[in-house]
Amino acid sequence: MSRIEAKKPSLCTNDPLTKERVNFSLSVFSGIVQSCYGPTGRLKQLHNGMGGYVRTTSQSSALLGGLSITHPALKILTASVRNHISRFSDCGLFTAILCCSLVEHFQRINFATCTVTKISRHLLSLCTDYLKSEACGCRVSVDFDSIKTLLSLVRSILASKPACMLNKTEANHLSTLVLKAFLLTIPHTIETNVVLGKCVIIPVKDKRVMDSTVFPGLLIEIPEFQLARTFPIKRVSSSTIKMALFCISMSGDLSSIGEGTVIVHHGISLEVAVLDQLLNLGKQLVNDQVGLVVCQKVIHPSLKQYLKEHCVITIDRVGVSMMEPLSQMTGSQPIAALHSVSPTCYGSLKDLRTESFVSKHFLHLIPNDTLVCSLILCNRNEMAWDELKLACQTAEHVLQLTIKQPLALLGGGCTETHLASYIRHKVCKALRGCLKLLNSFKMTRNLLYMGLRTELKHLLCP
Amino acid sequence: MIVACVSSHQSMTGDGAKTFIILLSKLLRGLQAILDKREGSPFCEDIQRSKRDQKHCHSLKQISQSLLTFQTHILDHIMAQDLRKHFLSAFSSWEGEIGRDTMESILEAYFCGRIGNSHQKLLSQLTCDFYYRCIPFINGKNEMLDLVNEYFVELHSAVTGLPVSNSRILEGLVLHRDFAVYCPADGDIRLLIVTESIDSALSPSGLEFVVNAEVQYQASQVWITKRTEAIMKHLQNNNIKVLLSSVKQQEIVIYYAKISGISVVECLSSEEISLLCRTTGISPFIPTQDNICSEVSETMIAKFCQPLVLGSKRYVHLGLTRTCAFEPHCVIFCGPVHGVTEQHASAFHGAFKMLQQLFKAVDLSDGCEQPENTNNTSKTVHCSWQQSATQQKFIMENISCNREKVNDQQLKTSMAETEKQFIDSSSWVDENPSCNQTDLQKSSDLAMPLVKLESDFMFSALIDRGSSVKELQKPPLKCKHPSEMWVMNNSEPVVNYQRICNDAMTAIENTSVSKQLDAAQEYWKPGNPIVPFKYEKSYKHTVQSYTNLVIQAGSVLPVGGNFEILLHYYLHSYAKQCQQPKITLISTVIADALLSIPKILYRTTKENSFTQVYFKATSALQTNQQLPMHQQGLESVYCKYQLVASVLHCLTKLLTIDLIIGIKRPPQKTEVNDSEDDL
Repeated sequence: MSRIEAKKPSLCTNDPLTKERVNFSLSVFSGIVQSCYGPTGRLKQLHNGMGGYVRTTSQSSALLGGLSITHPALKILTASVRNHISRFSDCGLFTAILCCSLVEHFQRINFATCTVTKISRHLLSLCTDYLKSEACGCRVSVDFDSIKTLLSLVRSILASKPACMLNKTEANHLSTLVLKAFLLTIPHTIETNVVLGKCVIIPVKDKRVMDSTVFPGLLIEIPEFQLARTFPIKRVSSSTIKMALFCISMSGDLSSIGEGTVIVHHGISLEVAVLDQLLNLGKQLVNDQVGLVVCQKVIHPSLKQYLKEHCVITIDRVGVSMMEPLSQMTGSQPIAALHSVSPTCYGSLKDLRTESFVSKHFLHLIPNDTLVCSLILCNRNEMAWDELKLACQTAEHVLQLTIKQPLALLGGGCTETHLASYIRHKVCKALRGCLKLLNSFKMTRNLLYMGLRTELKHLLCP
Repeated sequence: MIVACVSSHQSMTGDGAKTFIILLSKLLRGLQAILDKREGSPFCEDIQRSKRDQKHCHSLKQISQSLLTFQTHILDHIMAQDLRKHFLSAFSSWEGEIGRDTMESILEAYFCGRIGNSHQKLLSQLTCDFYYRCIPFINGKNEMLDLVNEYFVELHSAVTGLPVSNSRILEGLVLHRDFAVYCPADGDIRLLIVTESIDSALSPSGLEFVVNAEVQYQASQVWITKRTEAIMKHLQNNNIKVLLSSVKQQEIVIYYAKISGISVVECLSSEEISLLCRTTGISPFIPTQDNICSEVSETMIAKFCQPLVLGSKRYVHLGLTRTCAFEPHCVIFCGPVHGVTEQHASAFHGAFKMLQQLFKAVDLSDGCEQPENTNNTSKTVHCSWQQSATQQKFIMENISCNREKVNDQQLKTSMAETEKQFIDSSSWVDENPSCNQTDLQKSSDLAMPLVKLESDFMFSALIDRGSSVKELQKPPLKCKHPSEMWVMNNSEPVVNYQRICNDAMTAIENTSVSKQLDAAQEYWKPGNPIVPFKYEKSYKHTVQSYTNLVIQAGSVLPVGGNFEILLHYYLHSYAKQCQQPKITLISTVIADALLSIPKILYRTTKENSFTQVYFKATSALQTNQQLPMHQQGLESVYCKYQLVASVLHCLTKLLTIDLIIGIKRPPQKTEVNDSEDDL
């Protein structure tokens, strides 16, 4: 029995996570996130070596999305931070920094990992219990009757993003806008199931931040030549415009015919048949006094022409993302049939206007009940705009979460300092009772304290 | 091959992969050590010293054969005779109820080895809750466990970005899709399942549609629309509120559903559909010309049907009312990253597999003794019960058997098949050889006296393949196999007996263990309705003793290597008594290998070193005391038994191979290398 091929060693390595490698990757990563933190943090430029899109950012969501991380331990850390961001939008950098500093400090003392987990779990429950309790000194309840707290909440989010390039007045202006937009999405009537509306962000680049505004209702961009020929509008009454919303293609192409074969005799055109159907539909719409037809997909030019002749405005290709706010705002149901359209599907609008911004022209759909609003967001350049958009979305999400639990914490490192001293106090008290745990507790307390102090350092020091 | 064996074992019992490998490697090393010694080894005695390799292979083959014998006879025997008095039952009473604290200790011991200690408690609580909330009534546990294991993917959902402590159990089912249309509805909601598109196409496949005029085309389009509308109206009239579809429906269907106030969930996976069908017992609805006007009967009732936001995804939350042995519930695992939730989910699944194994029993055919837990009077009572139940069962069997025409020839062929199978796989050879042998005897000599047949039956298992192990202790006569009792009591048994054996053999032909067990369980079920009411309470026990279970369903032992120490002890004592050198050797090797597991377990602890534990245990055994218990947790004996059996099976397979032939992609041989020397 001879052996021809040498046996390959198996790929099991004894210890894939050597301390040096973990420490090295961790310190690089924590260096990145720590330098980004706070309003005075430094920006990071992410770009591919091959060229292409360059992003300047200090936000954790953009930063972690752009970093390519290979080390498994670090992967877990960043994945959990990203999952945290996907749930809560905010505080990604804080989570990352706290994680890194805790890991680094714990590694410095040589405890068994299970002790470390036990202690940190205990301290965590101590912290959360304290934060949940009424006695907590760093907790502020959010009052929805006055906008003061809400405004400072939004401002602290926007102001801590240096890559947005906002000065103080701009930040104040934008915070007001974001808050206004958020308040517009809250329904007037409270039912059992509260569904918040939507805020659509419309980009206008190369204008000043101060030019940003909020409109109740939807703004739909239209080409300039359409602007001239849209009026007059057919109205049911002075404050009601009937509207039909279609979610199928009205381009006159043949609908799906199934898997079998279709034999068409000479001289018969199916396209003509479909167009006939479309024009019949147009007739019905005109008869039903519809003043505005919006289609997700394409409308056949002949139908457009026909409707225009009867003073009906048509908007097509609005895309699937606009369908939900449109139907939510107007109360119309997306129609999917070309024959026998039920009149119950029509929605209504209060008014229709045109607006123009720099080189863009919009049709402004004003609803009766404002659930949907449009935020026109301006910034000087594209990179700063991207960053600003992300910040505004974060702020909106945070406001939504605040409705669920109307509590806020003091910013600027107050909460962290407070919590650290609380832990120290608690641990000292516990120490008197049990001297046996002295060492471990003291160490951990110091660690956590140090971890929290790192936060502070980065918040306060320029 | 080892990996395949391990993973198949793991997928069945949900546990024990590490133990499997440790045990196997120890066994192989032990055998290697024996072979290295050569001189004086009983396996080399009768071999001519001609070629070294051949001899080597030959001895290996012999080892594997004696392993087989060991597994089939001695292991079961020891399990039944010696170990069983140490087993604790997880059931609090005969009805098969399982106490919550027992359950918790079993689960905690299980999760101890599977996930980090920070979440053990939480997960075992979760599993325990899930078990008790899913189980509708006591006797449905096997069915429920089967269902949970089969559809586990559909019964759990993972949410990342939330702390682990947010994991919870939800009532009802979560379908991993969002509503295409959602119309809120109150009260009892009627649901309907469809598996094809409701909207009909202009020309279905295989048909031709001829367009003669434009008007005709328009009319047919209108007809299709009207038909869809009519179907949806019909569903609305039948008070159906939710439509569950496995395919994507046309936009027009969605449109009409919205008008009619019917919620629609599309693109459900086929597993989800089959789970829904299983739990509710309905079949999908197919709209045809005929049933458009008639009543829709295949509906299910839900208490609620609402959207559920889990993390960033929106799902459908269905609160079904129960129609089968499974109270619909589902688990939500939360964790910071996907890996954590996945790990928890697989541990949870494994726990349910383990529970499924826990409620299984092992039976043994050669007449072993009954549990000696009751005193004599109760024993006699049991015997009488047994007999009555047994007789009734046999009557049932006779009825069922009358249809089959059995002749000797058929018997022989089927026997040959089983024999072959036995040699090939032999993972499970409890009653197989014994039945074979009995049948052989009978077919060759039908006139054999009954008494002789009886004794043959007892020892037939041991004559197998010439390895005469007649020294095996003869089981006490007073507690005989009940079927034998019956044979003695009645005068015309032989034909019936053959039939019974035949039945048993057909049951055995299902190679997989679980199948066989199920078959065996079902086999005895027909007796249930006949048993008089007053026996019903003790029925379970009767059946258990009747089938001569090696391991009763729900047997548990404390964790911490107790099973291994016990088995080690009894194997050693058996080896001392045994006169067969081969068997002695094998037993010693296996016993020593078994001991390696507690050795590893107690490696780290300082106060409780292995030698101390081992010494305490053996001294307790020698003085017939209860074993000292160190830990709270319990583990399933069946899983352990299965583990030893699987390891031995794997070892047998390994040892019968003498050459590994590497083959490249074209089917001709290219090189011959390697022997199992290096394994």
